[in-house]
Amino acid sequence: MRVAQPERLRGMTSLVRMRLAGFLRGGRILAPAIAVLVVLGIIYGGGPSPAAVAYGYSAAALFPVLAWQSKLLLDTEPDTQRRLAGVAVGGRREAVAGLLAAGLLALLVCALAMGAPWLFNGIDTGRAVVSGTLLGVLAHLLAVPPAVALGALASRAVTGGVRNGIAVLVTSAVLVVVLGLEGSIAPWLVPPVMATARALNDVGTPPAATLALLVVWAVLWGGVALGAYARLRRTRT
Amino acid sequence: MRFDGVFFRYGRRAAWTLREVTRGIEAGQTVVVLGRNGAGKSTLLQLAAGVLRPSRGAVLDRPAIVGWVPERFPADQPFTAGDYLHRMASLRGRDASEADAWIERLLLTEHTGTRLSDLSKGTAQKVGLAQALIARPGLLILDEPWEGLDSIARTLIPEIVAEVTAGGGMVLVSDHRGEVGGLADAIYWQVADALVSEASAPVPALPDEVIIEVKVRRAESPRVVAGLQAEGHQILEVRDVAAAQPHQARPGPGLTITPGASSGREAGGSS
Repeated sequence: MRVAQPERLRGMTSLVRMRLAGFLRGGRILAPAIAVLVVLGIIYGGGPSPAAVAYGYSAAALFPVLAWQSKLLLDTEPDTQRRLAGVAVGGRREAVAGLLAAGLLALLVCALAMGAPWLFNGIDTGRAVVSGTLLGVLAHLLAVPPAVALGALASRAVTGGVRNGIAVLVTSAVLVVVLGLEGSIAPWLVPPVMATARALNDVGTPPAATLALLVVWAVLWGGVALGAYARLRRTRT
Repeated sequence: MRFDGVFFRYGRRAAWTLREVTRGIEAGQTVVVLGRNGAGKSTLLQLAAGVLRPSRGAVLDRPAIVGWVPERFPADQPFTAGDYLHRMASLRGRDASEADAWIERLLLTEHTGTRLSDLSKGTAQKVGLAQALIARPGLLILDEPWEGLDSIARTLIPEIVAEVTAGGGMVLVSDHRGEVGGLADAIYWQVADALVSEASAPVPALPDEVIIEVKVRRAESPRVVAGLQAEGHQILEVRDVAAAQPHQARPGPGLTITPGASSGREAGGSS
């Protein structure tokens, strides 16, 4: 390879910035931003709740919005521009740059969604605020990789068209809830979004073993989904 | 670079768009791909660029830096032309100044502040050309580059192609209208019935051109020649007035314009 590695990495960060800029300037962020506001309004509208419980629900409710937002971000660029970007930085880096852009935006939205209730007295400051907030951070961090992976699997580069993409997104979002319910027949088929919310809803801090299981589960699910995305991107152009 | 037994189809059940393509391009070579619309020229070019992957076979020894000018520039993006080209330079790990050099050369300076979606088709096509050239490609792929370009840009393309090949690069150009006249030493491939075969240079359709003889003062001749060339005209000859004037006896297809007639025509045109 004649091109130096640092140059290639610089190219990838430039592509992340270009995609975020395209998404924000094109105004496509507006719809998911409104959805986030609605979610926050529903969760915190009823007065202050304990941090862990509120954040557990917040992460679960944000999951489909984050997935949708990731799909929108990846679909902003015209197909030909995506291919031009691939020629410029290399196919694999082009795909990774898209995931990074979607991941960064999802983290930003999570940070805003966790900060907002403090402004409106949405968090009960009486009990276990620090541990509850830390658990909330964990819950949101566990939601981001599966959400980005799901959005990527629903993106046009994989599904080819709007209808297929929306079908993948909606079906998966429904399955995440249905298969995530307590007593589900196959909970491991979906990321542990609902399981995390339940764990944070229990009185007291969940045991370390539960948290470890949730982390491993989310990482494995995200890894498998991202691997599937990488494979599909290689075979579909 | 080599196509090694490349097969390609757009779906598992689709018919082959290209079958068993085994051809090579040498360093410094220009290949013009001929064929009617829908024959698979664009597909072949995208396989060369690495945008498409062969269904079977492989494309080997592709240069590290590839410049691809798609047939239609994707103008539906919320960037201005200047911002877009600076970002594309950055994607290649290049400085903005390298994009500016191409902006100037392709006469895009006045359009740098225009949004991509507001550009005319020809100008958008030039932006597409610029993004491919910023990184000094070892393989330049031009998909119907003449489409929608004005005459000045048209004369630039052979120049740019010559620069890439002079630096040891390869150029792959598709052309369905046989407009390639200006590319020196090009070899030709014909795409038909999903097969790619070597072809001879297409017989150029008789061009709709005339020869104008103009008499100018010696001191002004370099400026006039440069001006006519800049407008895309071909200078066939510059000679002394004292030299023989064989045209008097042979009216033929040549058209002789005296300075008087010429200036009279200009006056008529501008009134």
